[in-house]
Amino acid sequence: MTIALEAEGLNTFYGKSHILYDVGLKVKEGAITTLLGRNGAGKTTTLRSLVGLTPPRSGKITIFGKDTTHTPTYRITQNGVGYVPEGRKIFAHLTVEDNLRVPQERPGPWTIERVYQTFPRLAERKMNKGRQLSGGEQEMLSIARALLLNPQLLILDEPSQGLAPLIVKEVFRIVQQTKADGMSVLLVEQNVRASLEIADYAYVLDHGVMGWSGTAADLVKDEERIQALAGASAEEWSFDDTLSAAETEALAHQPHAVA
Amino acid sequence: MLTLILFNLTNGIILGLFYVLMALGVSLILNLSNVINFAHGNFLALGGYFAFSLAPYLGYWGAFIVAPILIGVLGLIVEQTMIKRVYARPHVYSLLLTFGLSFIIQDMCRTIWGVNGLPLSIPNALNSPLSNQFFFLTGYRIFLVAVVIVAVAALFAFLGFTRVGTRIRAGTFDLDTVSALGINIGLLRALNFALGIGLAGLAGVLAGGQIGLNPNMGDNLVLPSFIAIIVGGIGSLTGTLVGGLVIGVASALTSVWWSAGSNVVMYILMVVILVARPRGIMGEEGMMT
Repeated sequence: MTIALEAEGLNTFYGKSHILYDVGLKVKEGAITTLLGRNGAGKTTTLRSLVGLTPPRSGKITIFGKDTTHTPTYRITQNGVGYVPEGRKIFAHLTVEDNLRVPQERPGPWTIERVYQTFPRLAERKMNKGRQLSGGEQEMLSIARALLLNPQLLILDEPSQGLAPLIVKEVFRIVQQTKADGMSVLLVEQNVRASLEIADYAYVLDHGVMGWSGTAADLVKDEERIQALAGASAEEWSFDDTLSAAETEALAHQPHAVA
Repeated sequence: MLTLILFNLTNGIILGLFYVLMALGVSLILNLSNVINFAHGNFLALGGYFAFSLAPYLGYWGAFIVAPILIGVLGLIVEQTMIKRVYARPHVYSLLLTFGLSFIIQDMCRTIWGVNGLPLSIPNALNSPLSNQFFFLTGYRIFLVAVVIVAVAALFAFLGFTRVGTRIRAGTFDLDTVSALGINIGLLRALNFALGIGLAGLAGVLAGGQIGLNPNMGDNLVLPSFIAIIVGGIGSLTGTLVGGLVIGVASALTSVWWSAGSNVVMYILMVVILVARPRGIMGEEGMMT
């Protein structure tokens, strides 16, 4: 399997505070790689370093074989990297339609029309302002916006944050679908169990240091580590491919489903 | 009395339209690049002088079209060589830079075109009053109003309906996310700066035909355009539009009864607005709507 993204020895700072210490990771092509860690472990900083928003002070980043360590963000993303930022970062004062007109579209299967087919809810809310959307709708919009670049690598920062379990399932289903479409995925999550169920590979970041790496299947077996990661509020529910009748019913009224 | 009020109302609207053109440019640059451009009034003056120097070769109409475009290009050059270097720095850097730029351009105008006022002659067709009773309604004033309406409508259409305009509006909210969506924000800021400066150039050409040219002609318009932005609500271009007209009309109507108060009233208005509604008239809409 070829490598979509490789980072070696990243040291990233915010001003004077040292956040990442020699962080390295690989994202394999056509697979879902998840980056886990507790609050403040440096997950978001890692992603911001990878897309050039907070460039590392030292280290090397290679994306699709090109050294992108010092490449400006817009070039990295135009090169086939979709980035769904933490907190969704919807343009709250723009309509859904205008939000979708911001990305520099690259040729490929994803167009605004296809977004509306795939996320009928967004089509219904086309003329609504971003801030009028529910959290789930905002997440869909944020993912759709990144997909319009027709990326080969999709980077998502805590897409499940603040969403109801049912909506989280839907978001994870979309992530799985992008993998089925041939995209490589790097997924940062706090929702440890759910993300391990869809991931192929996993990394665990702890206080800015990469503490563990391996296959998701191996990490799932390590109950102790998972408990430590998920913390006291270990989530009870888990991601499940089959929906209960009630959930299917509820989804029918909130159609986010991937076509 | 009615004629006097109408006369001052017309003056107020004309004045307000200049504030609007100035303030929209200042606002565009402030919203996207976080730079308060103190040199904006000097670009206005340059616009008038460019038209003055071009008119013998291109005629009034040629100069009218070409001068604002040249000012926009000059803005682009200034942004690329100077302004963009201070984006990542604290506000005081851009304040000092544009403040210095303001003096440099002003002295340049003095050196090239002289310290005395120059007339920018307008075509005769525009010069005559429409009627004797309403002597203040000259063809030129109506032309001026029409040009500003067209320019402002074009600006709002550009921001509202084109992709680049949409990206500028998105960028006023979150530049990082715009760049993460594959947009070259350096280019976006440069274009936006040029657009704002071009509007100042246009205001200069229009003002030259109304009040003549002198090196300080923009100075009286800079502070009121900051007030227009605050009164209208920072971040809202519609607010800037409303704010400019409101202070222009308020100051002209005040002069009917209290001629010395025409400037003071703008500041009083600003204080009242800041106390009663700190985010400005249209401020609640957030950014550039």
